[in-house]
Amino acid sequence: MKKIEEINQKIKDGDVVVVTAAEMISVVAENGLKKAAEEVDVVTTGTFGAMCSSGAFLNFGHSDPPIKMYKTYLNNVEAYSGIAAVDAYLGASQPNRNPEIGIDYGGAHIIEDLIRGKEIKLVAEAYGTDCYPQKKIETYITMDKLNQAIMVNPRNCYQNYAVATNSTDETLYTYMGTLLPKFGNITYSSAGQLSPLLNDPYFETIGTGTKIFLCGGEGFIIGEGTQHATEVERMNDVPVSAAGTLMLKGDMKKMDPDYVRGASMPKYGPTLYTGVGVPIPILNEQIAARTAISDENITCRVIDYGIARRSRPVVRETNYAELKTGEIEINGVEIPTSPLSSYKKAEEIAEELKEWIINGKFYLTNPVEKLPSKDHFVKPLEIKKPSILIKDIKIKPVIIARPTEKINDVAKKLVENSINHLPVVDDKGKLMGIVTSWDIADAVARGKTDLKDVMTKKVVIAREEEPVDVIARRIDKYEISGLPIVDKDNKVKGMITTEDISRLIGESSRKNK
Amino acid sequence: MRAWLRFSPIIVNETIISDTMKKYDINFNILRADISPRGGKMLVEIDGKQVQESIEYIKKRGIEVNPIKKVVKKDDEKCVDCGACLSLCPVKAICVMDDWEIGIDDQLCIGCGFCTSSCPMKAISVME
Ligand code: SF4
Ligand code: SF4
Repeated sequence: MKKIEEINQKIKDGDVVVVTAAEMISVVAENGLKKAAEEVDVVTTGTFGAMCSSGAFLNFGHSDPPIKMYKTYLNNVEAYSGIAAVDAYLGASQPNRNPEIGIDYGGAHIIEDLIRGKEIKLVAEAYGTDCYPQKKIETYITMDKLNQAIMVNPRNCYQNYAVATNSTDETLYTYMGTLLPKFGNITYSSAGQLSPLLNDPYFETIGTGTKIFLCGGEGFIIGEGTQHATEVERMNDVPVSAAGTLMLKGDMKKMDPDYVRGASMPKYGPTLYTGVGVPIPILNEQIAARTAISDENITCRVIDYGIARRSRPVVRETNYAELKTGEIEINGVEIPTSPLSSYKKAEEIAEELKEWIINGKFYLTNPVEKLPSKDHFVKPLEIKKPSILIKDIKIKPVIIARPTEKINDVAKKLVENSINHLPVVDDKGKLMGIVTSWDIADAVARGKTDLKDVMTKKVVIAREEEPVDVIARRIDKYEISGLPIVDKDNKVKGMITTEDISRLIGESSRKNK
Repeated sequence: MRAWLRFSPIIVNETIISDTMKKYDINFNILRADISPRGGKMLVEIDGKQVQESIEYIKKRGIEVNPIKKVVKKDDEKCVDCGACLSLCPVKAICVMDDWEIGIDDQLCIGCGFCTSSCPMKAISVME
C-alpha cells in the first residue's frame, strides 16, 4: 500500500517510477503483478479525440461606456452570455451564424484560434440599462486581452464508447464520422488501453480535484461528467459500452495548439479534439492490475447507426485489438475500420505527462471526493407526444404500376388519381423503381414509350417502422417530394408525400392548442 | 507514370487514346475522368515499354499532358493522425505506419477525393 504523499516525495527526490498505460502491460507481464505494483508509482494515460461536449468561459472586461452583453458573437459564432455582464460561454459545437460557413468554422475553431493567439472579432448587443448603457460593441480580442479564458468541458473522456457502422443504402454523416452504406466501414473512438477511465474502471483513484494534463497545460477533474453512468455491463472489469465521464477544467492561456484542435465532422458539425492525460497512482496491486489492461481485453459493441433511434441494434461485439488491425468481419465480409481518436497523440500525451512527473514539474493530488461509482444511470428524455411511426398514419390505398406498362397508361393513372408519384413493382408487389409526373412529361417529350426506361431505379424509401420525423428529414436531405413505404419484404404499402407530412404537422399543432 | 490529360473541345470526339494504346502497346488506366462536349480532363496511369513515345504522340495529337507524382496532398501540420480517413479510401491508399502515423501512398491513390471531404481537420487536398 502506497500513499499519494509518498509518491509526491519520490517525485521531489527524483526517483519516481512512471510508465504509460501501454508500457504497464509489458511491465506486469514481465515482472509479475506484485513486483510491478511495488516498483511502479504512476501510470499515465492519454486520449486525443473529438469531444463535442467542450467549451470555454471567457471574460472580456468592461468597455467604456459599459455594456451588459445580451447576444455575443465571436467571429460570427454565438456564445451564450446570459451570465452577468461580460462573461460568455462559448460551446465547441456551435456552428457559425453565417450559413455559407456554417459548420466549417464554429466554436471549436475559435477555441483553437484563441489558443494560437489569433485575433478574433467580438460583436455584442445589449438592451441597455442605467448601469450598462451601451447597446452594441464591435472590437477585436486576443487571448492576452481576456481576463479569463477557462475551458470547462461538461463531458469528456467517455469510458468506452459504441463502434459505428451503417446497414442502410445511404451514406450517413454522423458524429462518428462518415459511415458508408451497406456496412462499408466501421468507426470507433477510444484510445483503448491508453484511455484514462478504462485504466481505473471503478474510479478508485480519480475524482473531483484530480490534477490532469488538459490540452498541453494543467487541468483538473471537477466532478463526474454529464451522462455519467455506472450500472453497465462489464467484461474484465471494464464497461463494454459508454459509461463513466469526466467534467474538466483548465486554463486556456496555458494550453498548446498541438493538443487541442477545432474540427468539423463532415455534414454533422464542429467539434473539439481535446487531449487529456490522467495520472493513476499505483497505490496497490489491484490498481496496478487494472492499469495493465490491454486492447484485446477491452470489449466494445458495433452499433448500427443506420437506425436513427435512441436504441440502435448491436451488430456484434469486438475489442480494440481487433479494431486496430484495420479490418473486422461482419456477415463474412472484412470491413475496414477507422479510429476517430488519434492513438499517436494519445501516446504522445501519456509520454508528455510521464516526462512532467519524472522531471518534477507535476505532482499528484488526492481527490477531494471520488467519482460516483454506483447507482448512476443515463435517463432518456421522454417526449410527452410520442413520435408517430409511418405505419400509424393513414395512407390512401396504394396505386402502383408494372414495368411493362406503356407511358400513356401510366400518365392516365397519374391524372385520374391526381397523384404525382407512382411506385413500380414486380409481380410479387416488391419495389423496383418509381416514376413521377415529371418523369412522364419528360418521357413524352423525348418520345420514350416503355416505363422501365423511364423509372428511377435507385429509390429513396420509407420503412413502416420508421418515425415520421426521420422521413421528413430524409425528404429534406434528398430534396424529393415523396417516397414509397415498404415493409420488411420490400413490398410496397403506400406513398408518403410532403403534403402528408405538412398535414400531419398541422394536425398535431392544432391538437396541442 | 501518372498524369493529368487535358482536352480541348475540338478533339473530344477523336479516338486518340485507343490509337495510342494500339500504336505503342501501353496499358492505359483511367483513374478519374471529367469529360464534356466542352473538353475536359482525365487522370490516367500509363505503363508499358513505350511510355515516353506514347506521351509524345498524345501531345502531338493536341492533348496537354501534365505528369504528376502526387494526387493528393496531406498537410502534416493540420493532420492529427486520427485515422478518420482510413476506412473511406476505396483503394486502401491510406495506411497506419509503425508509430501510428497516418500516411497516404501516392502510388495507390486515385484522387477520388473521399478522404478530402471526410477529414475533420481539412488536412487533405486534391492536387490539380
Ligand atoms: S482524417 Fe485528416 S486528420 Fe485524420 S488522419 Fe486523415 S488526414 Fe489526418
Ligand atoms: S483521394 Fe481517394 S484514393 Fe486517394 S487517398 Fe483519398 S480516398 Fe484514397
